Amino acid sequence: MSATLSAQLLNIAAGAFLFTAVLILWRRELASIIDIFALQGVALAAMVAIIAADEGSVEFLLVAVGVLVVRSGVLPWLLRRALSHAGATRRETRPLVNVVTSLLVAAGLTLLAYAVSQPLVALDPSPAAHAIPVAMAVVLIGFFVLVTRRLALSQLVGFLLLDNGITAVGFLSTAGVSLIVELGVTLDVLLVVLVLQVLKTRIREVFGDTDLDELRELHD
Amino acid sequence: MTVFGVVGVVIQLVIVVALAPLLTGMMRQIRAAMEGRAGAGIGQPWRDLRKLMRKQPIHPRGTSVVFRVAPLVLIATCLVVAAAAPFVTTASLLDPIADLFAVVALLTLGTVALALAGIDTGTAFGGMGASRETTIVALVEPTLLVAIFALSVPVGSTNLGAIVTAGLEHPASVFSPVSLLAAVALVVVIIAETGRLPVDNPSTHLELTMVHEAMVLEYAGPDLAIIELASSMRLVVFLGLLANLFVPWGIATSGQPVLIAVGVAVFVAKVALLGGALAVGEVFMAKLRLFRVPELLAGSFVLGLLAVAASFVLA
Amino acid sequence: MNVALGGLLTALVTGGLSALAGLLFPTPRRATVVGIGTAATGVAAVAAGVAAMAGQPAVVALPQLLPLAGLLFTLDPLGGVFVAVTGAVAVAVGIYGIGYARHGLRGRSFQAVLPLFVLSMVLVPAAASVGTLLLCWELMALTSLLLVLAEHRRRPQVASAGRWYAVMTHLGLVVILIGLLVFAANAADGSFAALRAAGPTVSPLVAGLVFVLTGIGFGSKAGIIPLHAWLPRAHPEAPSNVSALMSAAMVNLGAYGIVRIGFDLLGGGPGWWWLLLLGLGAASAIYGILLAAISTDLKRLLGYSTTENMGLVLVGVGASGLFAASGESTLAGLAMAAALLHVITHAAFKTLLFQSAGSVLAATGRRDLDDLGGLRTGMPFTTAAFGLGALAASALPPGAAFVSEWLLLQALIHGLPASGLSAAIVMPLAVAAVALTAGLAVVTFVKAFGIGFLAKPRSPEAAAARESPASMLTGMGLAGAACVGLALLPTVILPGIGAVAAGVVGSGNPVVVDAVTIRLADVAGSLSPLLLALALTVALVAALAAARAVATRRATAIDARLWDCGGGPLSARMEYTATSFAEPLQRVFDDVLSAEQDVDVTHVEESRYLVQTIDYRRRVPDRIERRLYQPVLAALAGWGRVGRRLAPGSVHRYLGYGFYSLCAMLILLVVTR
Repeated sequence: MSATLSAQLLNIAAGAFLFTAVLILWRRELASIIDIFALQGVALAAMVAIIAADEGSVEFLLVAVGVLVVRSGVLPWLLRRALSHAGATRRETRPLVNVVTSLLVAAGLTLLAYAVSQPLVALDPSPAAHAIPVAMAVVLIGFFVLVTRRLALSQLVGFLLLDNGITAVGFLSTAGVSLIVELGVTLDVLLVVLVLQVLKTRIREVFGDTDLDELRELHD
Repeated sequence: MTVFGVVGVVIQLVIVVALAPLLTGMMRQIRAAMEGRAGAGIGQPWRDLRKLMRKQPIHPRGTSVVFRVAPLVLIATCLVVAAAAPFVTTASLLDPIADLFAVVALLTLGTVALALAGIDTGTAFGGMGASRETTIVALVEPTLLVAIFALSVPVGSTNLGAIVTAGLEHPASVFSPVSLLAAVALVVVIIAETGRLPVDNPSTHLELTMVHEAMVLEYAGPDLAIIELASSMRLVVFLGLLANLFVPWGIATSGQPVLIAVGVAVFVAKVALLGGALAVGEVFMAKLRLFRVPELLAGSFVLGLLAVAASFVLA
Repeated sequence: MNVALGGLLTALVTGGLSALAGLLFPTPRRATVVGIGTAATGVAAVAAGVAAMAGQPAVVALPQLLPLAGLLFTLDPLGGVFVAVTGAVAVAVGIYGIGYARHGLRGRSFQAVLPLFVLSMVLVPAAASVGTLLLCWELMALTSLLLVLAEHRRRPQVASAGRWYAVMTHLGLVVILIGLLVFAANAADGSFAALRAAGPTVSPLVAGLVFVLTGIGFGSKAGIIPLHAWLPRAHPEAPSNVSALMSAAMVNLGAYGIVRIGFDLLGGGPGWWWLLLLGLGAASAIYGILLAAISTDLKRLLGYSTTENMGLVLVGVGASGLFAASGESTLAGLAMAAALLHVITHAAFKTLLFQSAGSVLAATGRRDLDDLGGLRTGMPFTTAAFGLGALAASALPPGAAFVSEWLLLQALIHGLPASGLSAAIVMPLAVAAVALTAGLAVVTFVKAFGIGFLAKPRSPEAAAARESPASMLTGMGLAGAACVGLALLPTVILPGIGAVAAGVVGSGNPVVVDAVTIRLADVAGSLSPLLLALALTVALVAALAAARAVATRRATAIDARLWDCGGGPLSARMEYTATSFAEPLQRVFDDVLSAEQDVDVTHVEESRYLVQTIDYRRRVPDRIERRLYQPVLAALAGWGRVGRRLAPGSVHRYLGYGFYSLCAMLILLVVTR
């Protein structure tokens, strides 16, 4: 495919990637957040597939399929299962920072990401490199979600957002992290999700609620 | 391994063993004379040794082989030093071990054997004597080694034969400040090591004032005879070292019988003179309290350090 | 494949296999197999070390194993000395450990880690790059920590000792790491060859910084004051075979590090380095033996004695550097040879002493000298072994350490005429320090041997003590044979040691030996330890014969009561204890020691003039710890209390800390570009 076409497609995918991240910040219902996360997985897989088509590498195409399966299929399925066991509280109960402020902060974080990624872009001005600031922004937004949500499940989504962003940065900057590292990281993330799921169930059994702000025993 | 060497060693051993009790007797007689007493005569220590040798050996209950072997170790170290050090002749058969550090360490070994025997008895007196004696030995070591250092600097070696020979060849070095300071420091060391006044009273009968006597309180008969002989020999050895390291003239440098006879006579005279001076000094001194002894030893240490500093400045 | 390389690889393989055996074998035979395996590792290490000393090179390069630079091992003569020492200690301790493990040390974790500890100690002197050295050093620290903590379930003090040891050894590692990284940053890469090439060209400031930092880290491992606090805590609480390994093999590697970096990699330095080293070594020697002299815990006494002996080694190293800096290369070689010989003799007698102490501990369950005594009837072999070790440790002839101290004194004495004003002040003080140390060592070991083993038992456990099993006795016998060999025939190894020392400082061989006499090259001095021992033996036999001949009453000796002032038979309570033995010394040095005493007198109810009981308690705290460590620990605790306010319990707050600091860092990055 021609260079300009692939560059445009990449920009669209990156844009969708960032948009889904902001949407997660905006929406309150846990079910819709999980669906948006699945969409983000699709956008990430698309980015990897476009780079694969550019390089003409079959290995990357396989990685793109893997990313699609895991981040759009397996992880959202696990999250939905956890949600169905959760019961009553399907909405986020008063996030620590209200929605308007969250969106403003997201904008600020995007600017910061752009400023920080300038040297990386200047190093190798290819279309893939131009999408790095977007991925950086998703990293920061994911971290922000992790910090400011109360329910354990939404914090988990934030963590996964973080990981998506890191993966994206990896693929865009070096045009491919070593396959084995990516595999290891994915397995790690899978393990974290499973553990946190179990932990969430236990927290709810003991405390009756997974609002983490109610838990204040973790100190000396 | 010359005939001269062998003859010299034998003569030295015989002289030291035979004359050590006579030296002790002479010192006691001088004290008696100055104190207005009749005294027992110079030969009394020999008569005491003969009496002790005729007694039945005694083993205190509860002591072990350490107790029985210690007197032998003590006298063995004295014999080795008497054979190796240059008293009558300069060519010693045992020249490889005629090193000042080795000689000093051997004499300390004797003291250690006696201290272990004192502890082995399991009495409070034995432990007390051992404790005090080893403390004094520990505090005397720095002075001793620094004084040896001062003696070795002009010669460039710690070999006894070399130091004595260097003294013979350069008579003027005897009267240098280095020698004088080192000599004074060594006199204090000798008093401490042989257990004379003011550090220890060899003729006390009060257990709590004893240092050396407390360690040997349980010995009787032939063992006590060996220890008495060894103590006298130690005194002769120390005084002989003091004499020959600082005033070596008269010592035999070759194997002619005349020179050897002269060497013997000069050695006996020097040791007798030093012993007599020590005895006279003891009449006018009282025993120091145990915890004043470190002050005395610290003073001698400072003298030794000054000796070394002087040897550097004047070298 | 020469002997050095073969030995090194064999040691690696046997060590690994022994560790595996420790994991897999069942309990009855586990200790035996691991003990024999450790001894085999030791034998291979000795072979490799001796071959390396003779000049055979051994290089093992494994570039793929570590990410950045890989592993690089090179065995040169200096490293060979330390590898051989470690191996020899491992042989004796390995055999000893077979019997010692009977006392609760048969677990998998202990038996599997012991060969790994020995292996790491063999690899450290062979390391030839910064990464390799640090990896092996850390492995050594971790394995020794696990071994020290072996008995923590039975005694609570072990946990505290382990904490001190862990913290101090890792702080030392950090300091060494920083020093070596500073050095490597000024060289081409991290291998020792590159550092050696860059050594002469770095600026004096950088060289001084590297020397001081690595000196602190390695000195702490060697137990030099003021960083010695882990030694008297870890050694008593560790099992005795581990204490022997640590004291006789591990602390040497601190001295090895200082010699390697100061002499080999940095290529010598200005005088103030060596003066600092000499001063610290002398102070450690005196302080260490003083605290040993008043210590009543047998293993703590031996631990402080290790500080003393390492201090003497550093005196030799410092004197060597001082002489090298002023151009006297033969004297520098002599001082270095004295230091290396002292490392070897110390390893021999310290192994023997710790093995005997472990034997006593196993038989009686007591470590306190005030509770022991009278062990010579029930444990004659252990008593003889401890006596031999004590003779060696107090630097008296015919002991092993007498020869090394003699060499050290000769080096210090001959340094006076030519080496300048600083030497004129320093050398006499150094000689005085060595002499005071020797004197105090005599007090210490007379106390330890006499109070601990002779006279009457002071507790029922001491009275019931029985001799140790054959494997422990064999281990002690091996160490004892080494002590005797070093005492009588040091001429066997001195040419090799002299050659190594000459190689380190760049001079000719400082010692020349014929069959029995040690002669010094270029300076006047000679000594024959064998002749000395022979003369003593002949004199002893002659005295015995003469006494038998002269004594007229040949009747058998009669038993008699000890002198008790007529007050009745003496009990064991009336004996001198270790505390009372050292009391005059403690009074003399009261300014340094500042003991604390408690005396409680309980009177009889009927009359205040009669005493029922007197309770006497005396503590001698380590003054350096009081003055130096406690303020630092108090400050850290205060800091921790302040930091508690940052942790209110909310999970979001903690996550927020991470997020805010990340954003702040990124903003900083943007702004400062």
